[in-house]
Amino acid sequence: MEFTIDKELFLKSLQKIQGIVEKRTSMPILSNVLLEATGSSLHVTATDLEVGMKSTYPAEVTTPGKITVGAKKLYEIVKELPNQAIVFSTKDNDWVEIKCGKVKFNIVGLSPDEFPYFPEIKEENLFEIESALLKGMIEKTSYAICTDETKYNLNGIFAKVEVNENGENAFKMVATDGHRLSIATGALKGTAGPELLKGVILPKKGVYEMKKITDEDSGTLMFGFMDNSAVIKRGDSYMVMRLVDGEFPDYNRVIPAANDRIVTVDKENFTHSVRRMAILSSEKFKGIMLEISSGGVKISSSNPELGDAMEDIDVAYDGEPISVRFNARYLLDVLAVAETESVEMKFRDELSPSIIVPEGSDSFLAVIMPMRL
Amino acid sequence: MKPRTILHIDMDAFFASVEQEANADLRGKPIAVTGAGHRTVVTTSSYEARACGVKTGMAVWEAKRCCPQLIVVTGNNRKYTETSRRIMAMMQDYTPEVEVFSIDEAFMDVTHSLSIFGTGENIARQIKARIREDLGITCSVGIAPNKLLAKLASDMHKPDGLTVIVPADVPRVMERLPIGALCGIGKKMRRHLNLMGIYTCGELGRCDETRLTRKFGIIGTHLKQMGLGRDDSPVIPCGEEDEVKSVSHSMTLERDIEERDDILRFLLQLSDMVGSRARRYNVAGKTVGLYVRYADFFTSFGKQTTLPGYISLSSDIYRAALSILDGVELEQPVRLLGVRLTNLKHQSEQLQLFEDERKRTAAARAVDDLNQRFGSLAVTFGTLLPAKKTGGSHVISPAWRPAGIRNVEVK
Repeated sequence: MEFTIDKELFLKSLQKIQGIVEKRTSMPILSNVLLEATGSSLHVTATDLEVGMKSTYPAEVTTPGKITVGAKKLYEIVKELPNQAIVFSTKDNDWVEIKCGKVKFNIVGLSPDEFPYFPEIKEENLFEIESALLKGMIEKTSYAICTDETKYNLNGIFAKVEVNENGENAFKMVATDGHRLSIATGALKGTAGPELLKGVILPKKGVYEMKKITDEDSGTLMFGFMDNSAVIKRGDSYMVMRLVDGEFPDYNRVIPAANDRIVTVDKENFTHSVRRMAILSSEKFKGIMLEISSGGVKISSSNPELGDAMEDIDVAYDGEPISVRFNARYLLDVLAVAETESVEMKFRDELSPSIIVPEGSDSFLAVIMPMRL
Repeated sequence: MKPRTILHIDMDAFFASVEQEANADLRGKPIAVTGAGHRTVVTTSSYEARACGVKTGMAVWEAKRCCPQLIVVTGNNRKYTETSRRIMAMMQDYTPEVEVFSIDEAFMDVTHSLSIFGTGENIARQIKARIREDLGITCSVGIAPNKLLAKLASDMHKPDGLTVIVPADVPRVMERLPIGALCGIGKKMRRHLNLMGIYTCGELGRCDETRLTRKFGIIGTHLKQMGLGRDDSPVIPCGEEDEVKSVSHSMTLERDIEERDDILRFLLQLSDMVGSRARRYNVAGKTVGLYVRYADFFTSFGKQTTLPGYISLSSDIYRAALSILDGVELEQPVRLLGVRLTNLKHQSEQLQLFEDERKRTAAARAVDDLNQRFGSLAVTFGTLLPAKKTGGSHVISPAWRPAGIRNVEVK
């Protein structure tokens, strides 16, 4: 195999797959990137068996062929090469030669035959989705993804399309770690396939890679499902992620319906108050207290090892007084992704889940379980 | 640093003295206190028994061989912890700076109480008198400028001793003192030092520091200080200790067991003991360890596993311990089993969002509350019921403390 490619383009292609290759793995081939030269293009593929990505770039192919090379080392090499065309060729015994101007590298690769199978994507399985919509919904939910690997069914985002009484599609993404839960809702044009109507769990790592794709530009992406995987296509790049095989908990059951003690606070001011109070939080004492009465909200924190702090926030409230304690981190995570100027907090009592929603918007809803007083 | 006055109070043959005080028939006779069950070891022996060569840690048959007229008394841990608590409370009358070192030893920093009580000797005499009058037992007290020397001093005239080491005496005392007499220099360290030609504290104190640090690292500096009779470590009152690093329980079984079901039952019981103590003090751990000692007493193994998340529920600890057990082939019947939870973090009082999780924690909490009120095992796993009076020789752990996470309810 031999091909010639622009340095910047090659670098970009390798950068994109750095998040996917496994750093520590029992299968060395998964640390490698598969390079395939055909016709006038170079296909760059990486996978960790859970999330895979395949992109196509223009290249001048002298001899078609394929090889795998350590993805991290190759990236480091290309990054430091002079800004000229790179000639990449394979030698005997899976050795690779990289020439760029007066620089020459010989590095050892692995046979492409060992590289895991990457599925052929059928375009007809995909539907269009707005990149910005996907990006916003991932932002509003991904913070709540569970990091405890034993709860594998919570290690991702649950995506589902609910059809309302008017026959409109509501696209929902839900994430939870068992202490808090976040739901983002968006409108999905067109018809949803059976997978989304039933609901699927997108793996955490795939979600973060998908987020990177949506960060790159706006416009539309192609999204769909095949062989227990979700597929995203943008331009000449595909990403495939194996769906988490598990049952996502019934999130509708934990969204409280009877939270009738409602306080509306200015998001900026409230965020600063919580941040100030959180200064006294520690691993051992991380709760901050909200005491809500007709006089306003009194927010305080107390840490026997450091001291205490309190602050009054003026808000209108005419319901029953209530005191409730939260992990400050959980409040800040929600406030960081709420897009409106004010947020509504809805409580029932100090032991029941509380709701935070952006004022006057139904695109986002967060449920936070309090701490014991 | 201002010179300090530190007292080390060490009860004389504590468990044995308590028994002799409670039962006049035992006084003046060689007695040995043991754990429950027929295969336990001597935990304490009276001075009469020690004269015949009975030592702590001997098997009962061994002790009887040394001293045929030995009277063996099964220990009553509750009585000892209660007595210990009363003694520690007495010390609190003289200074709040009391460090409970074990069930029968404590350090007191009385530096700031001297303006009220005069001298350290005065405080020591008062405490000795009160312990004798109220409880009928004796203790030995060492008074010195630091903990190292105070502990050394209390051991110099036992029983019922009162020994003072004043700063001017330190070089003379240390000069001929064998290094093994220092608290903190065990058998292995002594052997290492002996190989370097160091036998007495005097020699240790004169040893070139770099020679010691080259061999022992950072400990080397500390060793030289010990040789010189210097020790800056503070007396740490109860409740101000460093965070506890592990929660563990172990038990010697009534008889060696081989049946898997029996082993699992004890494993569950130990897991539950560890879990309930962890939960009571709001800690959860990430690493579970299993320790097994085989029937021959001398072979054993310890293994641990680190989990992806923090756990404190008994069933989770059991499952982790079981997975370790399943990964090994037992060579012999089992004599002793131990379960340990480490890699601890403080568990917040964060409530669970999902109902089944919430129910699991609420159930554990309810069981813990009941057991707290009605005694451990009042509510327990069904599997443990047929053998409610389970094995275990109930030997009290040296890490026992009157309060806090190290406090274990004793039987």
